[in-house]
Amino acid sequence: MISVEHLTKRFKDTVAVDDLSFEVKPGLITGFLGPNGSGKSTTMRLILGLDQPTKGRTLVNGKPYHALAAPLREVGALLDAKAVHPGRSARNHLLALAVSNGIATSRVDEVLDFVGLSSVAKKKAGSFSLGMSQRLGIAGALLGDPPVLLFDEPVNGLDPEGIRWIREFFRKLADEGRTVLVSSHLMSEMAVTADQIIVIGRGKFITSGSVDELTKNAAGTVLVRSTNNAKLSAILKDAPASVNEINDEGMRVSGLTAEKIGDLAFSAGIAVHELTPERASLEEVFMDLTHDSVEYTQSEKGTN
Amino acid sequence: MAHSPGLLAVVRSEWIKFRSVRSTVIGTLIMLILTIGIGLLIGLAVKGHLASMNPVERASLDPIQVATGGILFAQFAVGVIGALVITAEFSSTSIRTTLAAVPNRLQLITAKGIVLSSVLFVVGEIACFIAYFDGALIFHGTIAALPPLTQGRILQAVVLGGVYLTLMGLFGFGLGLILRQSAGSISTYTSLLLILPILVFLLPSSWQNTITRYEPSVLGQAMRSTTGVLRGGTPVFSTWASVAILVAYCVVVMGAGVVLMQRRDA
Ligand SMILES: Nc1ncnc2c1ncn2[C@@H]1O[C@H](COP(=O)(O)OP(=O)(O)OP(=O)(O)O)[C@@H](O)[C@H]1O
Ligand SMILES: [Mg+2]
Repeated sequence: MISVEHLTKRFKDTVAVDDLSFEVKPGLITGFLGPNGSGKSTTMRLILGLDQPTKGRTLVNGKPYHALAAPLREVGALLDAKAVHPGRSARNHLLALAVSNGIATSRVDEVLDFVGLSSVAKKKAGSFSLGMSQRLGIAGALLGDPPVLLFDEPVNGLDPEGIRWIREFFRKLADEGRTVLVSSHLMSEMAVTADQIIVIGRGKFITSGSVDELTKNAAGTVLVRSTNNAKLSAILKDAPASVNEINDEGMRVSGLTAEKIGDLAFSAGIAVHELTPERASLEEVFMDLTHDSVEYTQSEKGTN
Repeated sequence: MAHSPGLLAVVRSEWIKFRSVRSTVIGTLIMLILTIGIGLLIGLAVKGHLASMNPVERASLDPIQVATGGILFAQFAVGVIGALVITAEFSSTSIRTTLAAVPNRLQLITAKGIVLSSVLFVVGEIACFIAYFDGALIFHGTIAALPPLTQGRILQAVVLGGVYLTLMGLFGFGLGLILRQSAGSISTYTSLLLILPILVFLLPSSWQNTITRYEPSVLGQAMRSTTGVLRGGTPVFSTWASVAILVAYCVVVMGAGVVLMQRRDA
């Protein structure tokens, strides 16, 4: 369980996180979604106590991060796969982490084996490819067998096989009842990975829900064909809805549900021949939701 | 709920880190080699000139300073090691991984400090004792013969040689905590040791005599001095005053480092 409460983080002239509140529940994969520079990594650093919040707080299992006795046993995190001393071997890197949290050293070989790095355990971390570094980071996150896990853009640098592996791995973690928070700037990625999605933009909370809920609530369009398209179009525009004439045969309407359109046509005595709700694609929903924040980021600051 | 593994666990973890990268291990070896090797070279050079020295020179000759003269070189190695212990974590951003595992920053710095000072003290003492025995062999039977270790001042000088290297390592560590980057920390450390004396040299000589004794490497020589003056007659602080001043430098720099580390984002 992770709680973020009215979290605000200001860097000189940038408000990276702005009064953000949300909860991440166990047993689910929660996607943390937002465009580039929307504050995902900053929020994760704040959860791990690496940065000091300007306002608000974060709790892990009901406690501030620094109050966790052996943090690696409670939270596993992979923020940046390259956050390893390049000259230290993978095994020694994990060994130092394990020892600092009183984790049995036998666990080091277990996690190395799990991520498939046993054969290169004695190699320097600096010689690893991005994919191997990701795996080493995952091994580090798993060391303490923690109930809460955080991953910042974990599919970066993975090949298709690696991506499939990591999705199945997240699913397994969630099925074991763990809390799993995974960030991404790609809605398509989250749609296939996450059960629950939290969308932020410009550091602010935008919306949250399951993939289904997000698309259902989003403004979809309805394809309408009737005996009198011109008249119906005028009525619908008054409703008000926005109407896109496609041709004489039909039009695409947004801003009204199919039921409402049917009712309006019926009271005007127009026979409806087709009334097809068209769901917005996930990517469209996301673009729609974060439109403002993307504009902001591009006009005011190029970020990473 | 798991109980906190505590400081000892963090010390063990930092020890694994210290010995598992080449830079710190090689740095420590370099310090050992410089202390012994340069001491040997200076000793041989001085021995060759003993006969041609004038009486004033001969009077101010402090053979233990000569034998442990390699420290003047080794002090750069320990500063680099001290800085790298923390700056390497910042430059690789592994500090974030470290702090996620050990959120108590004071505990982390303490553990790093314990590992660093233990290694430097043990290796520094080994180096200084070997340098003493080399010096004793070189000057055996000459007018500059080294007194035996059983003579209090001599044993103290040798032991304080290792203490000096340890303290300078901690000084470099403190600079690393403040500056966070290797190049900046190492060049600041080097400047303080090399450039500052040159600047002081440009000052009026009465000022020089007052200021020079505060320079770290002069404090180090004062700690090993059996005569109370340096060659050339520069007055220095007493042994224990020198130790106290050097410790004070370390406390100030490390203290600032700890405060900044607690305040800043990682
Ligand atoms: N240490 C810092 N100092 C100054 N500004 C920062 C710092 N870290 C982040 N920012 C700014 O805060 C904002 C949020 O950045 P953050 O990295 O959290 O976004 P993100 O959602 O992770 O983006 P991305 O998808 O590109 O990884 C950006 O405008 C960024 O420039
Ligand atoms: Mg990011």
